Amino acid sequence: MWEKKPLLLIALATAAILVGTTITMVLPFAWVNTETDRIASVTPYTPLQQEGRDIYIREGCNNCHTQTIRPLVTEVLRYGDYSKSGEFVYDRPFLWGSKRTGPDLARIGGKYPDAWHYKHMDSPRSMVPKSNMYDYAWLRKSTLDPVMSERKMKVLGFPYTQEQLAQLKGKNELDAVVAYLQKLGSDIAWRKAAEVTIVGELKNPYPDTAHRSMEEWEVIYSEHCAACHGGHLEGEIGPHLDGANYTDEELFSLIFNGIPDGGMPAFSSLGTNKVWKITNFVKYYVQGEDHP
Amino acid sequence: MEKPVYNTDIVRSFVHWSLLWGLVAILVGVIVSLQMVEPDLNFPPYLTFGRLRPIHTNAGIYGWGVGVIFATFIYMVQRLCKTPLWSNKLAKFQLWFFNATIIASAITLLLGYTTSKEYHEMEWPIDVMVVILWVVFAVNILMTILKRQEEQMYISLWYMMAALVGVAILYLVNAAALPVSLFKSYSAYAGTNDANVHWWFGHNAVAMALTAPPLAMFYYFLPKTTGVPIYSHRLSIIAFWSLIFMYLWTGAHHLLWTPVPDWVQTLAMAFSVMLIAPSWGSVFNGYLSMNGQWHQMKENYLVKFLIIGLTFYGLQTLQGPMQAIRSFSAFIHYTDWVPAHIHMGTMGWVSMISYASIYYLVPRIYGRELYSVPLANMHFWLTLVGQLVWSISLWVAGVLQAGMWNATNSDGSLTYTFMETMVEMYPYWWARAAGGFIFFLGIIIFIYNLFMTVRKGKDVVAPIVTAAGRN
Amino acid sequence: MDWAAILYLGVTFGLFAIFVAIVIHTCRDKHKETGEAPKYTMLEDD
Ligand code: HEC
Ligand code: HEC
Ligand code: HEM
Ligand code: HEM
Repeated sequence: MWEKKPLLLIALATAAILVGTTITMVLPFAWVNTETDRIASVTPYTPLQQEGRDIYIREGCNNCHTQTIRPLVTEVLRYGDYSKSGEFVYDRPFLWGSKRTGPDLARIGGKYPDAWHYKHMDSPRSMVPKSNMYDYAWLRKSTLDPVMSERKMKVLGFPYTQEQLAQLKGKNELDAVVAYLQKLGSDIAWRKAAEVTIVGELKNPYPDTAHRSMEEWEVIYSEHCAACHGGHLEGEIGPHLDGANYTDEELFSLIFNGIPDGGMPAFSSLGTNKVWKITNFVKYYVQGEDHP
Repeated sequence: MEKPVYNTDIVRSFVHWSLLWGLVAILVGVIVSLQMVEPDLNFPPYLTFGRLRPIHTNAGIYGWGVGVIFATFIYMVQRLCKTPLWSNKLAKFQLWFFNATIIASAITLLLGYTTSKEYHEMEWPIDVMVVILWVVFAVNILMTILKRQEEQMYISLWYMMAALVGVAILYLVNAAALPVSLFKSYSAYAGTNDANVHWWFGHNAVAMALTAPPLAMFYYFLPKTTGVPIYSHRLSIIAFWSLIFMYLWTGAHHLLWTPVPDWVQTLAMAFSVMLIAPSWGSVFNGYLSMNGQWHQMKENYLVKFLIIGLTFYGLQTLQGPMQAIRSFSAFIHYTDWVPAHIHMGTMGWVSMISYASIYYLVPRIYGRELYSVPLANMHFWLTLVGQLVWSISLWVAGVLQAGMWNATNSDGSLTYTFMETMVEMYPYWWARAAGGFIFFLGIIIFIYNLFMTVRKGKDVVAPIVTAAGRN
Repeated sequence: MDWAAILYLGVTFGLFAIFVAIVIHTCRDKHKETGEAPKYTMLEDD
């Protein structure tokens, strides 16, 4: 039969290849990105956000960061609500990635205030000393091109206004990246839904040990809070903290749930024990007395 | 019958250039592995991890992998068909166009012109170049097969033909894009669809560029080296049809637990597991061909490369299906386990078989004996040790990382923050860089050995010279 | 069973039948000599 007929062999091989192709690659178009997937609150990117996305692609951020959260317990705890198909309908190309050298960014939008991102992008290691993400401060030096941006929006078929294009003038590439990051995953209101309620009475497990374990607690504080509130609670991106202003319970709840609209992240994923340690550190820290 | 005059010059040129791109790929591999442990080795805007990693992967697959495919296919097709290459002019064009494409890819990727789709990062003008290149190559090989003087079609020809069609279909479909300018385009597919199309491409690029062609080489160079035929040609045929049929169903095993429809994932999982059969069909065929010849494992450096390469293929095709199972994927997907899998395939299987093929070719296309067998043995050991250090350190790292990502406290909260898990990776990443460096030393010795073969090697006796067909 | 399940089963069996046909075609005794011939011719001097 085909053993001595190359053209027949090629035709049959092509047919063999096309069966799986048709079923697993062509057929799914009938289900994916159709009305059933659609999520009303998901909107296309604005010119500024799309520019940021293109810079994200240009710099290959996807080589270290994924953008899809799987419906697995620990993954949802760490990164937020799992990803839905309808959230990606405006993504050309998709940016799910394949390797998490850095954390997933699918729901980074709204996790931090803009100021945090600027500081982090300028020099990640100034905030997270052991990070292997390199500085992107140099993105500040390049400006955006409204003409090109308009062409992109037309090709993508996204709505835009002349005002939005005009606003691109005077913005730099880093502004665009931050705008893009803040949009990621925030089209659906998942943060409110994810808020963990603490059951039972709050009870400080470390009363009166205030000054003994401060060293240990400080380490935890430095890792999670210092980037925004400063090494001595003096405030930077977040406000100056003074433990005297709160009761134990107030402070604990503040840290545990964060202030989602104010740029203060929730720390419930650290667990109650660590949050209590931080609470006590903030509560009893007196500058100049405990630690030089 | 008059001996046909085979085109050997073009094989030489492809060997030279693929060696150069292989060297570049591996060197950049070492550089990115160091950037992961020492971020100060980033030099923006061009020499950052984000831009260099795609250069590493594309130079590896397209420069090294495909370069060797060009060299060996052109060599094999002429001999298996007992006829000279259909068009020498076209082959010459292919050589220069190949290099132009690789250079254009490297430059545009450094400049940040990228689609971000893995192994398909190059922007659309380069896609056009790739298509021209592949058509020219495919036409030349197919025409040579059509006017062959040998009626029989050996299994290597089958795999070659499948690869020619396969790569063409995959590349074209995944390349569909809406251009904005010369260096910027947007995928024709969006979101979940784009992901599914892309990994249909991605996984089958592995099938059609990193599995079928090395199998064609293995099936050709092993019998040629040992002097005894393969165990069963008919087994190789059954494995052939099953392999090319089943591979195409499995793309979504890269997308388990993502928003891709569940049934697509389930099919991918099932077919991945079934793929063990045709893969191991070839592995058994290879091992059984060694019946009575195992002593050559000790005596013949070529056999060492081929059989250990095949062994890596066997391990790869057991590990791959395991990773394609949902529960296992939940654990290791996104971790450092996956690069360990990849590099067992690329450094172990693809590179070892390519090394063996080139060791076989160079003495014949130059009519010289290999300059130094001890150096070739040393190359073998550096390659083997380098690859094992690379992969083993990252398997351990991957399991550790996955364990830490998933660890929870008794109150249901996470035990480790992301950074607490990441700092644990540094020692393993250092070990990986060291493994890569050992592997790199191997290819340096390889190139030196080949260079000296051409410069100083002893001329060999008549039969091999005719094989080289120089005149 | 709904039509989708029947189709699904039908396709599965159809594919399996093709596979069996290929195996039988390749392995039948008559085919032994021609099937194995290429592995010897490829070893001829080139
Ligand atoms: C070499 C790998 C690497 C590259 C390339 C990289 N990152 Fe990162 N990124 C990391 C790591 C590791 C972290 C975690 C430590 C930290 O916050 O710096 C991180 C953290 C982040 C975070 C904070 C995430 C969180 O939840 O705290 C953001 C936002 C981010 N990166 C954005 C980017 C952007 C935008 C780019 C491209 C311009 C980029 N990264 C490129 C490795 C990388
Ligand atoms: C991404 C930056 C960021 C990080 C990290 C962060 N905070 Fe905040 N925090 C803020 C901002 C911004 C506010 C102000 C929110 C508002 O008032 O709307 C705030 C508010 C607070 C407040 C209330 C201050 C007030 O208004 O009285 C407390 C207490 C606090 N943070 C404690 C912490 C502790 C403890 C940590 C570490 C576990 C921490 N924060 C980590 C940004 C941050
Ligand atoms: C000295 C040898 C090599 C070294 C040191 C090396 C290093 C690396 C590093 C550091 C990465 C990035 C991994 C990550 O992001 O975590 C990588 C990825 C990759 N390398 Fe290599 N590499 C080597 C050889 C090769 C060869 C020969 C090939 C191909 C023929 C290859 C193909 C790839 C591919 C396909 C990826 C992408 C992995 C992914 O998508 O997750 N590598 N390599
Ligand atoms: C039966 C055969 C195989 C199966 C079922 C298989 C399966 C898989 C799976 C499931 C993944 C995804 C891992 C993850 O991200 O969680 C993967 C990745 C990969 N495999 Fe295999 N594999 C097989 C053989 C091979 C071979 C022979 C090679 C040759 C080099 C190879 C190269 C790769 C590469 C390059 C990737 C990385 C893709 C990426 O994420 O960038 N695989 N494989």
